[in-house]
Amino acid sequence: MNSLMVKALAFSATLMIATVVIVKYMNIDLSDPVNIITLLGAAAVAFLTFGVSAKYINQMKTDKSTGELADESWDGIGEYKNELPAGWAYSFLGTIIWGVWYWLAGYPLNAFSQIGQYNEEVKAYNTKFEAAFANPDQATLKAMGESVFLVQCAPCHGETGDGMSGKAHDFTSRISKDQVLAVIKNGSNQLGYPMGAMPPMLAQGADAEAIAAYVAGGMQGTAPAAFATCAGCHGADGKGNNGAAPNIAGYDETLISNVLTHGKKGAIGVMPSFKTRLTPVQEKALATYIQTIKG
Amino acid sequence: MFHWLEKNPFFFAVGVFLVIAFAGVIEILPSFAEASRPVVGLKPYTVLELAGKNIYKNENCITCHSQLIRPFKSETDRYGQVSLSGEYAYDRPFLWGSRRIGPDLHRVGNYRSTDWHENHMMDPKSVVPQSIMPAYPYMFTKMADIDTAYAEALTVKKVFATPYDAPNGTKLGTLEESRAAALEEAKVIAADMKNKEVKDAVARGEIPQIVALIAYLNRLK
Repeated sequence: MNSLMVKALAFSATLMIATVVIVKYMNIDLSDPVNIITLLGAAAVAFLTFGVSAKYINQMKTDKSTGELADESWDGIGEYKNELPAGWAYSFLGTIIWGVWYWLAGYPLNAFSQIGQYNEEVKAYNTKFEAAFANPDQATLKAMGESVFLVQCAPCHGETGDGMSGKAHDFTSRISKDQVLAVIKNGSNQLGYPMGAMPPMLAQGADAEAIAAYVAGGMQGTAPAAFATCAGCHGADGKGNNGAAPNIAGYDETLISNVLTHGKKGAIGVMPSFKTRLTPVQEKALATYIQTIKG
Repeated sequence: MFHWLEKNPFFFAVGVFLVIAFAGVIEILPSFAEASRPVVGLKPYTVLELAGKNIYKNENCITCHSQLIRPFKSETDRYGQVSLSGEYAYDRPFLWGSRRIGPDLHRVGNYRSTDWHENHMMDPKSVVPQSIMPAYPYMFTKMADIDTAYAEALTVKKVFATPYDAPNGTKLGTLEESRAAALEEAKVIAADMKNKEVKDAVARGEIPQIVALIAYLNRLK
C-alpha cells in the first residue's frame, strides 16, 4: 500500500463521515430501509470511485510496458498485441449466442402482445364477475341494473328513464298512445318473439284509437271489444302469453332482453342493438331495475 | 481482415452501413407489411360520408373526441371492440385524436342513432344534462359541400388507388352520379329526422351539413 492508496482511502472515509454527519443533522429516519440502502449506496460509490481510480493511477505510475508490438505504427504510436480479457471475450461470445436465440426463438415465441394481455385481462375479470354474481339477490340486481342504465341507457332515455320529453322511450309507463297507434299502423317484426310478425292494420280508425287509449292507460277498466284481436297473441291480460309475444302490460326480462338483442325502430326513432355489449346477468339486472322505474 | 478495413476507411464505412441497414430492415419491414392492409369488408367512404368527415375536421371535433379504442376492458366495455390499424386504411387523414374531453367516437354508429344525433347536435344539454359540448344549430341550415368531397374521393381513387367502383364496393362514378347518390343517402337519413327545415332542404335536393355529419357518424362502426 502506497501513499496514494492511503490518501484515497482517507478521502472516501471523510466523505462517509460527512454523509453520516448530514444524516444525523437532518434527523433522517434510519428505521426506513430505503434510507439505509441509500446510505450504503453512497458509501459504496465513494469507496469504489476512489479505490478503483487509485488502483489505475498507481498502475500508470509503476507499470513497465512489455509484450509484442503489432505491425502498424500510427504516427509513431504502436499497439500491443494483447489477448482479449477473458471476461470481455466470454460476454461478447455470450451476447452473440443470446442474439441468435432471441432472433429465432426468444422474440417470436415469447413476444409481448397487447391483444393477448387484453384477452387475459377480460378473462380474469369475467371469471371474477361470474364468481361474485353467481346468485345475485334482488337488491344487488337493482343496484347493478341502475349503474348499467346510467352508463348505457341514460344518454338517450334520460337519467330518470323518462325518455327526456319524447326523445326516447319513456320507462315510467309501459307504452304511449302514439306508440300503440304506430305499431297498429305499421305492424312489427323486430323483436324475435316465437309468435313472429305482427301484420299492419289489424285495427283501424276508432277501434285503433280505443285500443291505444286502453293499452296506454295501463289496461285499467274494461277492454274495448277490438282488443280481442290483440288478446289473441298478447293475451287477455296483455302479458304476452308467457313470452310468446311482447308483454304490453309491463316490462319483463324477455322483453328487455329481446329489445337489447334486436334493437328497435319505432314511432320515436331507432334504438341500436346492444347485443354482446351486456352479459346475461347485466341484462337481468337491467330488467330488474327498469321494472322499478315508476312515474 | 480487420487490419485491412482499418486501412481502407471507405470500405469500412460501407461495411458499417450494411450492418446497420440490415438490422433496420428486419425491424421495420414487417410492420409495413402488416399496417397497409385494410380489414376484410372495409369499404371506402361514400361521397356524403366524406362530406360529413370534412365537417368533422372543419369543426375540429378531433380536439375533444378521439377515434381510437385501446385494448383495456374499461374502454371496450364503454366504446366497443378494440380498434385495428386496418380499419383506418381509407381514412386520409385518420382522425385518432389525442384528447378525450368528450367520449371516443370510433364506433359511435353502433350505439347512437340518427334521431339522437339530431337532438344532440341541436342542443347537447337536452340529452346529456352535464354536457359541455357546444351546440351546432347552424349545421341545420348550412349546406354540405358535396363537390369538394367528390373531388377528394376522385383524388384518392386516382393517386392512392383507393378501390372506388370495385364490385360490391362503394360506387363513385361521375360528379352527377355521385351528387344523385349522395342525395339518395341523405333522403334515408332525413326520413329519420324531425327538423322541418332539414326535411324541406333535402326534398328540394339540397343537403344540410347535419345530414352529411350524421351519415359519417352512423358509418363509424
